[in-house]
Parts: sequence; C-alpha cells; structure tokens
Amino acid sequence: MTQKLFDIAGIGKERLHLAWVSSAEAQRFVEVVINATESVKAKGKFDPKTFEYELAAAEMTLSGETLRWMVGKEVKITTKGDVYGRNWDVESFETILDAVLEREYQKNLIYKAVKEGHTSVRDIHHKIGLDLKRISYLLADLEKTNKVEFTGMKDRIPVFAVL
Amino acid sequence: MADFEPKIVAFLCNWCAYAGADLAGVSRLQYPPSIRTVRVMCSGRVDPMFVLEAFKDGSDGVLVAG
Repeated sequence: MTQKLFDIAGIGKERLHLAWVSSAEAQRFVEVVINATESVKAKGKFDPKTFEYELAAAEMTLSGETLRWMVGKEVKITTKGDVYGRNWDVESFETILDAVLEREYQKNLIYKAVKEGHTSVRDIHHKIGLDLKRISYLLADLEKTNKVEFTGMKDRIPVFAVL
Repeated sequence: MADFEPKIVAFLCNWCAYAGADLAGVSRLQYPPSIRTVRVMCSGRVDPMFVLEAFKDGSDGVLVAG
C-alpha cells in the first residue's frame, strides 16, 4: 500500500523494496540488495525538500484513522462480510481501498497547501497541480469533517483556512 | 552521475534477513555498500511511518526484508 501511495505521490514505488530472505540464503540476500540498489540508482538522488508536500501528505494519510481501520478490517470483511452482512471479495475491497487511499492523499495534500498559506482554489491548484474541480470537491469534504473552514470572499475569490 | 551510490535504509528482520546478511558477510559474498542496516525483531514491526521518516531524512531508497 505504501508503494501504491509512493506512485500516487510521484515519489516512485521503485524506491521502496520488500523482500523475504531466509537466514540460510546469503546468496539471495546479496541478489536482493543488488536489485534494490540498481533500481534506486536508476531513479537517481532523492531530495526530500522538493517532495516536502508529498511526504507530509503521505504521512498524514498513512497515520490517519481511515486507512488504518480499512487495512485492519480487511481480513474480517473479506472473509466474514461487513456489518450489513454483505460479502466482499478481496479484489473489490482492494479497489475501494485504492480509491480511498488516493482520495485521502489528495485531501491531505490540499490540507497541507491551505496550511502553508495557499488559501484559494486556484492558488492550491498552482501549488499541487490537482484538477480545479477535484480541489473544490475535496475542499467541501474537508469542510464537512471540520478540517478546513471557509472564511469569506476576498476580491470575489473564496478563501479557506485550516482549523 | 556514473558513480552515484544511493543511500538505502534496510530494515532487516533479526531472524531472517539479518542472519542472511550476516551469513553473506561470513561467506565473503560481495554486495553493494549502499545499505544502512536497521535491525528489527520482526519485519512486522516496520511501520509505514518509519519508511517515510527515512525518506524525510534524505535516504534514496528503503528496503524491508524479512
């Protein structure tokens, strides 16, 4: 999931590797390290400053309640069904999980942008490059959950602030 | 940057990959000097937060091996 998020954030999943090596497989360990080194090398140097917003949003997303609950409940929901008695197969559950992941990430990105003083929709768009309609839609969502508030109009432009 | 050597933070499980890395060292297998090892008692201990923290502090990649 973190790999998927890294792709959404533009950091690239090639930077994160997960592998299983048993204690007796020294040769395998060497291969894993060589592979990881090669693919990270291909991506080049990582500068945390240029990804400041992305990292902050990713952190908020991964530590947020929504995703932690969804991941924690996945096995239960896909094997025993949800509270409404509906049965979920793993594939459709993961589809929803991916959508939630992307949505939460974008919301957090907007939150971060507003917090840093980009208060209008257009300003946020210039900072994070997300579609204008999508930003307005997600801002409404952030308002509903009391993360962001609408503070009034300034030169006919709606202004937002974080709560 | 032909001689760019990435910095990779490697979270290694004490019982599996760490022992594997140890064995690789003992049997003198050559591997790139790019990894910085963090020994954890189980790879399940690794939280996504650790990974993000590693990137924030300027590592180029992260490897979780169990």
